[in-house]
Amino acid sequence: MTESLNVTVDRRDGLAVIYTEGYINNQGGEEIAKEAYKLLDEGYKALLLNLAGTKIVNSIGISILIEIIEKMLEIDGKLGFCCLTPTIEKTFHIMGLAQYAPIFPNEDAAVAQMRA
Amino acid sequence: MEGSAPAVRVAQAWDELLALSRDEASERQLLERLLDLWRKEHGTAAAGLYLENGEALERQAVSGAGLPELLDGSAAVDGFGSLRFPGGRLLYAPRRAVSPEEAGFAANDPLTLLLAASLKSCRLKQELKEQQFQINYRVVELEALYDVGLAVASTLDLDRLSEEILLRAVSLLDARRGALYILEKGSLEEDRYRLAGTFGGAAAPWFDGKDPELRAFLTGGNPAPAHLLPGTRYLLGVPIEVESGPRGLIAVGDKESRRGVGPFFPSDRRTLSLFANQAALALENARLHLQALEKERLEREMHLAAEIQRQILPKGAPVVPGFEVTGWYRPARQIGGDYYDLFPMRDGRLGLVLGDVSGKGMPAALMVSTLHSALRLLLDQAAFGPALLERLNRHIAESSAANKFITMLLAELDPYSGVLHYMNAGHNPAILLRGDGSVEQLGAGGLPLGLLPEARFQSRALTLGPDDLLCIYSDGITEAESPSEEEFGMGRLTDLLRQGRNLPLSELVESIPRAVGEHSQGLPQGDDQTLVLLRRDG
Repeated sequence: MTESLNVTVDRRDGLAVIYTEGYINNQGGEEIAKEAYKLLDEGYKALLLNLAGTKIVNSIGISILIEIIEKMLEIDGKLGFCCLTPTIEKTFHIMGLAQYAPIFPNEDAAVAQMRA
Repeated sequence: MEGSAPAVRVAQAWDELLALSRDEASERQLLERLLDLWRKEHGTAAAGLYLENGEALERQAVSGAGLPELLDGSAAVDGFGSLRFPGGRLLYAPRRAVSPEEAGFAANDPLTLLLAASLKSCRLKQELKEQQFQINYRVVELEALYDVGLAVASTLDLDRLSEEILLRAVSLLDARRGALYILEKGSLEEDRYRLAGTFGGAAAPWFDGKDPELRAFLTGGNPAPAHLLPGTRYLLGVPIEVESGPRGLIAVGDKESRRGVGPFFPSDRRTLSLFANQAALALENARLHLQALEKERLEREMHLAAEIQRQILPKGAPVVPGFEVTGWYRPARQIGGDYYDLFPMRDGRLGLVLGDVSGKGMPAALMVSTLHSALRLLLDQAAFGPALLERLNRHIAESSAANKFITMLLAELDPYSGVLHYMNAGHNPAILLRGDGSVEQLGAGGLPLGLLPEARFQSRALTLGPDDLLCIYSDGITEAESPSEEEFGMGRLTDLLRQGRNLPLSELVESIPRAVGEHSQGLPQGDDQTLVLLRRDG
């Protein structure tokens, strides 16, 4: 299992999908934030975080994700999550992330909903 | 607004902020508008509001350009004026250079006070958010413990459980790394801690249970030894224990914060201990489950072995002209080390064999199979006689353990002449009850099979007359003990044969174990019991 987080981005006509692989901790969260803010600077206002490659997230990672959500709310953007493990999905519900960023079971459903 | 009186300007600013608030403007928008008003009021090019966050100050709102996002809390910022607020700071770029005294002008100004109050509100909200975050995270912790508890109860896949427990512990303690070790017995029955799961970096595949630092940690309450997770700066470990002793250990390394890594908190030890308790339950459950599976597997194998043994026993008594013959067998356990067979030989002859392997259970049963196969093959190839038994003896000696042997009585009956050739390899003497009531014994003519590869055997012969009854038996019959440790003995067996000599053999053969059972008075059967009876018609 890897400690560091790999982030890749797929830009699709106004919507960008950020794929993560690894631990969403302080370093991992910062990596995601860096990519997300870069996308916002490029003009993307809809971001989808596909966490299929992530099995573990800690409180620092969550706080960074919350900051990204707050930033998206400020600019009237959309942020969604998809492909979460049951543990991470439950954590996001308890921590209140799901209240502001919808969680989708898979990427297709997420893209369809976020484009709607 | 710039030309009106200060009180009017403040009232107008207040109205504007209220209107923005009614329009559901964000807190940042409100602050930025307030900063706009302040900047215009005081003629500065830019102004920013900063909130303390640890040792740094984070910008909450800005009006104008050129202000940094983060400030070092201790240092002044060149080229900017600064007003300290409780919990934060207002930074501004003056239109003209001002001295600190001049900068103080704004401190009692109503808009500045409004900004200070707003910053305080920001701070309170931030604290509230942080507290809410911590409360929610405690719920996540509790849920995690509950989930692990459920996983413990619902799965016995040790690898999956170990990974689940380790990942939960690492994430909940904000650790960068972790490892879980399980106690197992080494080849020399020495305690060994095997790596069951690791996260975030390499860990040793195992530890010797005698490692002094490890022992001091597991039994003496010392801190976890650094070599558990090489390369970590801060390490926290707890033993995984059940009532009967240690079962493993779990360790995490390097607690994260936004500023890097640091030591774990005392509460982290409690959390990790709770996970260790869950892990202990899981490991114990899985161990017991594996034991039960192993027992079940052994029972299945024993059942199969018993079935194989039943298959090699004769299916009913063969028909032999002028003779009646039968056999009976009851193992002491599911499978046994006794063996008998009744089989047709060339020229209408009948073969009889009764063997008793030393020991019991699976090893004895395997030797029974060897004996059965080898004997049947040899009887197809060689004539009845010492050479046959000597070849069988060599085979048994070569294919069995040094301390294993078989006593056996092998006989060949010519039903037409009544001549019985027999060879006794260290077996109990068979009893021959003659038709006139006299008794003869068919004693040993050689050592038990398997003891000496070069052993020699003798073949003897006798003629069975009318009503002669031959009983071949295993020592499970004659050595069965009563509660007073008295053996059943050859005398009682001979008496039974005498009393039942006229009964059909199927009845007589059943009466013997019944009498043995009565003698034992309910004591468990200590050895396999086997009988072969042969009687010449009168």
